[in-house]
Parts: sequence; structure tokens; C-alpha cells
Amino acid sequence: MSGMLAICQKELSTYFRSPIAYFVVAVFMVGTGYFFTYNIFLTGIATMAETFLNMGILLLLVIPAVSMRLFSGEYGAGTMELLLTLPLKPWQVVLGKYLGAVAILLLMTAATLIDLVPLYLFGSPETTTILSGYIGFVLLGMACLAVGQFFSALTQNQIVAALLTVSVLLGFWFVHNLQSFQTSYALRGLVRYLSFSLHFGAFIQGLVRSEAVMLYLVVCAIALILNASYLQWRR
Amino acid sequence: MPSAIALESVWKRYGSRTIIHDLSFTVEKGEIVGFLGPNGAGKTTTMRMIAGFTTATSGRVTVAGYDMATQNAEAARQIGYLPERPPLYDTLDVSAYLRFVARVKGVPRPAIPTELERVTTACGLEAVFRREIYKLSKGYRQRVGLAQALLGKPAMLLLDEPTIGLDPGQIQETREVIRSFGEVHAVLLSTHILSEVTLICRRVAIINHGRLLAIDSPSGLQRAVEQTNRVALQVTAPAQALREELLSVDGVRALEVRSAPGDDSVLSVECLVDARDDVEAAIARAVANRWDLHRLERHQPTLENIFLHYVSEAPPAKGAA
Repeated sequence: MSGMLAICQKELSTYFRSPIAYFVVAVFMVGTGYFFTYNIFLTGIATMAETFLNMGILLLLVIPAVSMRLFSGEYGAGTMELLLTLPLKPWQVVLGKYLGAVAILLLMTAATLIDLVPLYLFGSPETTTILSGYIGFVLLGMACLAVGQFFSALTQNQIVAALLTVSVLLGFWFVHNLQSFQTSYALRGLVRYLSFSLHFGAFIQGLVRSEAVMLYLVVCAIALILNASYLQWRR
Repeated sequence: MPSAIALESVWKRYGSRTIIHDLSFTVEKGEIVGFLGPNGAGKTTTMRMIAGFTTATSGRVTVAGYDMATQNAEAARQIGYLPERPPLYDTLDVSAYLRFVARVKGVPRPAIPTELERVTTACGLEAVFRREIYKLSKGYRQRVGLAQALLGKPAMLLLDEPTIGLDPGQIQETREVIRSFGEVHAVLLSTHILSEVTLICRRVAIINHGRLLAIDSPSGLQRAVEQTNRVALQVTAPAQALREELLSVDGVRALEVRSAPGDDSVLSVECLVDARDDVEAAIARAVANRWDLHRLERHQPTLENIFLHYVSEAPPAKGAA
């Protein structure tokens, strides 16, 4: 346990001793701020719905910047040899890193709370809807990070890791569009179920559905298990 | 008591390439074993298998009795490992890096400052303790790597070329650290510097094309390589009597007597003797009893000769890299 926490803490110090954490949070704040202002002035309605949707897409592009170095960076620096020869199990390395990355995600999320100040000052938004939107956003982010971390473990090259992650995440985001090509009812159901954006849309509407929570958590679990198994297999 | 490190007919294959062939040896507590071999001989792969970074395709690697294949985490607690390229996080400073490794190695939190101070002093890192690792010179990076290996008081050290990139002063200090560690613990030291092996290792393992060619003490290897040594001496004595006296000494096979250059009264003798430790003492006794012995020295094959002897003798293994 303490080994895992040490890894998590090391990840966080690495993020903050390099420009990545500041850069990612800043880009995300600026992006979200822009969309928020734009949506509010366009609609004049005190809601986060549109902004959340934009945040979701922005997240798909920002997450790879956070996740790409998690393992690729270790391969490049030769420090994988340290991590795998210290008294740590692969799952501890994987979870420790993941927790560090999730902390950055939470920071990014927290930074957007500033947008709520004018919303509550000048309007009366539905708190429960905003809450469910944030729950969906964090769950979506966690699933994306797990996928990104897995791809980072597959290659030494951080750019390749980032591009693979973006491609797969965009695939998950738009996969429901395939349903119009499916004649089989089961396949239509499957591509709809796998869609990150459909589920996220439900959260934005204020629906915390167990199937949506399950999908994000199952994607996290599968990606992290594959990640740890891959490290074990590489030996 | 189990050996600190034991390899039992270990093989390592990558696809169709066999990197390590049937490797078996042990390293005991309280000894430093030098691991010699040309580039690509399989030293680093062997080190990595002992450290648990890669697994053996077949055979058994045990560390302090723990099987590397099944008890990896327990075994890892016993090992301090410095890979060929020091595994450092450039963005961290030295203290943060060492604190991280100490925590993962399970050093209790209250004991961490003392532990950091111990390895910092041992590796001479006081001056750079707060400096970011990317700002360090190669020598300091190497020493931070060694400090990391020493953390948590491991039962053995695996060092892959620990003195590479160090200046002569640092090399001496690092050897001293290794030597004092090796007095009570086990050390496996891979190196290209043959004099280093002669200076600090009790035994030497020579490997080439993934096969163990020899493992013995440096003097044992010398004996194995050359059946005879040469002993040179300078004596003031009558030539004929000296020749008879020397030939009667057990172990002396042949000799050549000449006048020493510039001094006719002194004879210069070259003896071909058996490669045993006691022969020159017997010669010294025999000569010094009757005449004036000015000089006596034994010419042994150097480790360079031994190394080349083994490495050039071994045929490249089929399928080896």
C-alpha cells in the first residue's frame, strides 16, 4: 500500500516539477471558460449542459497529454528497470500511477468550478443536474485516463501513445453513430451501450444511470487489468 | 543457509535467439564476485534476471532462498540493483528521488532521514542533495544510482558497471563503498575494468555468448590458464652451484642463467616453475641460505591474458546474439 502511495506521490511531483500539470490545467480552464461564456451569452439560460458537452470533447484531447508519459516516459528514461525490480507488484505500479493521474483530473475538474460562481450569482441553476454532470465528467475522465495509461505502457514513444489514445477515445465517443449501419438489434444495442458520449449526455441531463456508471468503471477496470498484465507479460 | 544468489541451469530465449545457455553459479554472503565478459556476452541479461526485471525461460533463479519466479516481491527486498544505465527521474531532486525509493523499499517513515543521510554520505552526494537530477554530471548520476541501490540495507548488491563515468578519485571511493559492503553482504559486479576485478573481487565469473566459461578466484584462474609461471631472480653466486641448487627445488622445471647487465658478479636467472603458490618461497629459501639474493619476482598471467584466453577460446554458440 505504501509503495503504491509512494508511486502516486512521485507521479504528482513529476507532473508539478514539469510544465505538464500547469499547462494542462491552464488549457482546460481557458477552453472551458471560453465555452461557458459563449454558451451563456448565446442561450441566456443558467445551465452547464452545453458547457459540459464541450468539456467532454475537450477532455478527450487533453487526457492524452496527461496519460502519454505515464509509462512511455519510464521506458525512455530507463526507470522501468527500477520500478519492476523494487519490491512492488505490477498492479501497485499501475494503480499508483493511475491515482496520480486521477488527481490531475480532479484538479482540472475543480478548476472549472469557478464558472459556477457567475452562474449562481446571476441565475438559479439546478444543483442536482450540475452535480450529476460533474459525476459523469469525472467518471468519463477516469475511463479515458485508464485507456491512455494502457496505451502509454505499449510504446516508448509518447507521441504514439497520445495519438493511439486520442483515436481510441474518439472511437468510444462516436461509436453510437455506427448504429445506423447495423441491422442486428443486438449490435445496435452494443454500439449504443459502448458510446461514451451517449452516457455522458445522460449525466448532463441529470440522470445518474447505473449502466452508464458501470460502463465507465468497467472500461477503467479492463484497461488497468490489461495494463498490469502487460507489465507482467513483458518480463 | 541458502546462497545469496543462486542460478540453476538458467536459459533465456527471445524468440528463436538464445541469449543465455544453461548458466549456473552462486554468490555467497560476504563475497564480491566479478562478472566479466565482452559486450553482448549476456551479462546485463543475467543481471536483469537476478534482479527480476526479466524472467528466465527455464531454470531457477533464487535470491536469499526466494524463487524469483514465484516470490518476486520478497526477493526484491533483498536486492539493491544498479542497472547499466542509472534509473533516475530527471525532474526530481536527489533527495526526493532517494526518498521515493526508500519509501517503496519499505523503509519506515521515521527512519528515512537517517537512511538518506547514510547513503548520501557513503556515496558523497552531500553537495548535490537538493539539486535536480537533470543538472547532475555523469559521475554524480552514477553515484545517485548507487545510493539508490544501497537504500533499505539490502542483503546483496547487483551492480552493472558501477564505476563507469567516474573520475579516478570517485572510482576509488566507490570501490571502497563496494568493498566494505561486500565484507558482510553479497555483491555481483559486472565490469569491463579488469583491474577492478583483481582489486576487489574474491571470485571471477567469465561469460561469453551466454555461457559461463569459468568461475574461480583470480589466482585459481591464473593457475588454470597457465600450467607454468616464470620466476626471475638476481643473485650473487657461482653459476654452476646456483643452477644445481635451483634445479633441486621442487617445482622448478627449467632455468636460464645469465650475467646481470652492468654487473658481472650478479647473475640473472629466469626459472620456469609450476603454477603453485609455494614455489617462489622455496626458491627464495634455497638461494638465500647460501648466497645474496637481490631480487625475486614471479611473472603471472594478468587478468587480461586470462580473459582473452577464455573469450577467444569459446566458439560462438549457435543461435546466440
